Amino acid sequence: MTSDRVEAPVRTVGAVADELYLKCIRCGKCLSVCPVYRETRIETLSPRGKVALYRAVGEDDLEISEVYAGKFYTCLMCDACREACPSGVELDLILNKARTDLAYSGLMPESLRRLDETIIAAGNISGEDNEQRLGWTANLESMPIGLDHGGQAEAAYFVGCVSALFPASYSIPQSLVRVFERAGVNYALIGGDEHCCGYPLFLNGEGERALAMAHHNVEAVRDTGAARVVMSCPSCYHMWKHIYPELLDNGELDGLEIVHETEMLAELAKEGRLRFKPWPVTVTYHDSCDLGRKSGIFEAPRHVLRAIPELTLVEMADHHENSLCCGGGGNLETYDRELAQALPRRRLQQAQDAGAKYIVVSCQQCKRTLFGGARRERIRIRTMDLAEVVSEQLEGEADA
Amino acid sequence: MLDPQIIDELKSIVGERYVLTSPEDLVAYSYDATFTSARPNLIVLPDNTQEVSEILKVASRELIPVVPRGMGSGLAAGSIPFGGGMVLALTRMDRLLDVDLDNMMATAEAGIIASELADAVAREGYFYPPDTTSVHYSTLGGNVACNAGGARCLKYGITGHYVMALEVVLADGRIMRVGGKATKNVTGYDLVRLLVGSEGTLAIITEVTVRFIAAPEVERMAQAIFPKLTDAGKAINAVLASGANPSMVEIMDETAIKSVEEYLRIGLPLDVEAILLIQTDGDEADAVRGIEIAAEICRQNGAREVRVATTPEEGKEMWEARSAISGSLGRIRPNKLGEDITVPHSAVPEMIAKIKEISAKWDLPIVIFGHAGDGNLHPNILFDKRDPEESERVESAVGDLFRAAVEVGGSLSGEHGVGVLKRPYLEMAMGAVAVEMQRRIKQAWDPKNILNPGKILPTKGAK
Repeated sequence: MTSDRVEAPVRTVGAVADELYLKCIRCGKCLSVCPVYRETRIETLSPRGKVALYRAVGEDDLEISEVYAGKFYTCLMCDACREACPSGVELDLILNKARTDLAYSGLMPESLRRLDETIIAAGNISGEDNEQRLGWTANLESMPIGLDHGGQAEAAYFVGCVSALFPASYSIPQSLVRVFERAGVNYALIGGDEHCCGYPLFLNGEGERALAMAHHNVEAVRDTGAARVVMSCPSCYHMWKHIYPELLDNGELDGLEIVHETEMLAELAKEGRLRFKPWPVTVTYHDSCDLGRKSGIFEAPRHVLRAIPELTLVEMADHHENSLCCGGGGNLETYDRELAQALPRRRLQQAQDAGAKYIVVSCQQCKRTLFGGARRERIRIRTMDLAEVVSEQLEGEADA
Repeated sequence: MLDPQIIDELKSIVGERYVLTSPEDLVAYSYDATFTSARPNLIVLPDNTQEVSEILKVASRELIPVVPRGMGSGLAAGSIPFGGGMVLALTRMDRLLDVDLDNMMATAEAGIIASELADAVAREGYFYPPDTTSVHYSTLGGNVACNAGGARCLKYGITGHYVMALEVVLADGRIMRVGGKATKNVTGYDLVRLLVGSEGTLAIITEVTVRFIAAPEVERMAQAIFPKLTDAGKAINAVLASGANPSMVEIMDETAIKSVEEYLRIGLPLDVEAILLIQTDGDEADAVRGIEIAAEICRQNGAREVRVATTPEEGKEMWEARSAISGSLGRIRPNKLGEDITVPHSAVPEMIAKIKEISAKWDLPIVIFGHAGDGNLHPNILFDKRDPEESERVESAVGDLFRAAVEVGGSLSGEHGVGVLKRPYLEMAMGAVAVEMQRRIKQAWDPKNILNPGKILPTKGAK
């Protein structure tokens, strides 16, 4: 492997505070919430197993190797284990530090290394010309006002790579701008000036390489003059909200409010700027890991759904902080596609058990993953992003 | 390291990917929920009973120790491969085979997660009572092999009381079925009862049939806060003697309260010596009357405050505080030795006093919680095993704990099993003759001593 990062000094795991793993008393509770363990039932892939491996390396009882690396990339980074741990083991830190050490040691798997290089080179995860980021606006009825907004924009919309570049997800930004326009929100789009937020790099243990992107993105948003930036992607949101402040110099984010689509929609609904027609269906809401567990946003999307007349909102067996990852997290689908594709089944089953006909998400990645899973498993349940639901259920819209 | 030819033979039985030999896998299968560990030579993950049988034939021929393992949540080091050999992980054998509503019995493979069986029964409107704290992260086979308990044992008994039939694989690979769905069956020796709690030393459990019962209509939970631990002890016996008929009476002492509060931040009082959790169940009238009786008894016996849950959610929250104790102890010290001594329930106050003395004598924090209603207490000694001097004191304190339990008419283990950790004390608790008879049983079932060797029975000549 020839990553330029191999040149960097190798940081040994033992140098990272061993207090991180000493708290693990190996009770096994994390096994019951880990989507990867629940699917494979193999201890080595469980959170407790990973802590044991990390500890063994830290205590010089195990050498890091490609096999060791493979265990840490077989992880959704969904944080369910951290949430469940009664002993307070910061598994999110351990799992991320393990990946960071592996990246520095040149042991990042080729597929993930390619992803990182693509992001650095192209400014997006797919490697396309970054100027193509507005492809989703092409078949709108009219040009979005965000491209040529007059006056002061209320918010800059940071679309995110997947929604901007993968046609199957176009309808999310299309729906959101439509809702903004119906609600009279003056917003700005930054098109090709938007770069990947850098979260995939962070997940791969190369968060420091996201620094240039963070600078660039903050500047691009500042240029719009908007005091708030809104994201429909929970991963971009989590990155901006929680990782950028660690990467950037003090003050660079000052005065810039970072909000997620669900918060803005809830706000618009509360202000009476959105009026809904009745929708007599049973839906369940799927908390994404980055928006829910990692960011604590649970009620905003539910508030919007409850505002829709005649809609019945039901909860799945695992919800809120204990939500079950769809299988789309942690770059697992890049590393182990077969496993990642097996994971949505359990979540879809939970939605069915709850009696839902629709799973509403607020994440393009959850939508892709659950939609793909339902198709493969032939499960009759529809997956929609909250922005799509709102757009379709606005008063005066024709029935879909 | 095992002969590569044997590894290939095992791979031909279960498939290449289910024989694990990497150093990483050996680390991950080296521990359970205790502080001890030892690496196996390999891990084999069979898919069905036939494969287990084939594996045992190989192990028997080659004299490879076979250590069965579920989800590794054991608290007696019973599934740790101290002598190396093979960890036989049964987690892939997790199929629910049958829920027989006519006979009110369910059958599943040994590797099913215990809560999944209980949930399947509950979906049909019935009740499988055994409720270990690890119900979501332990297997049914493991529960049977250790005869696991739980909080509801007070009223409903332990896992063994529900086991009707077993399919097991013997040391030489033969498959045997014992028990059945007939409620009364005194034909021959009761081999089901012998296998329950045998900790993988007599046979490998591959399939389990349990009975279930009608679900109680409602449950009621109360939380009583006692400034004085001794008052809590008196209240326990008074509640048991009353007509409250509780399904659980749980205790947590001040250290346990602090540890849980640190984790959950639910507003537990930090200036009291004990909290009791009491649950009643049954039909609405019985459960309500029972919890009111219990609450009143607590008030009369020195409780500062008694809260009766008004909703199931509130009751669940109260229980969560209790169920989180064990796991939360890692916040205080890196290691814990969680015991499960069991005493006549009348002796609970005396036993608690003795534990406090032992804690002071050896200068070690000992957290006390557990199933006070059935006399099964969990004194947890907190320590750092990197400190050899402290670890020695732990050893001494454990000996004192066991001696104290036996002195008041109790024994070593109420629900975790003997494993390795309690092995040195077995003779003290049971007597030399009983240990010798068990040795003979082991010899008859496993003449080559390949099934979980070194567990339960003390090594001959050792103290």
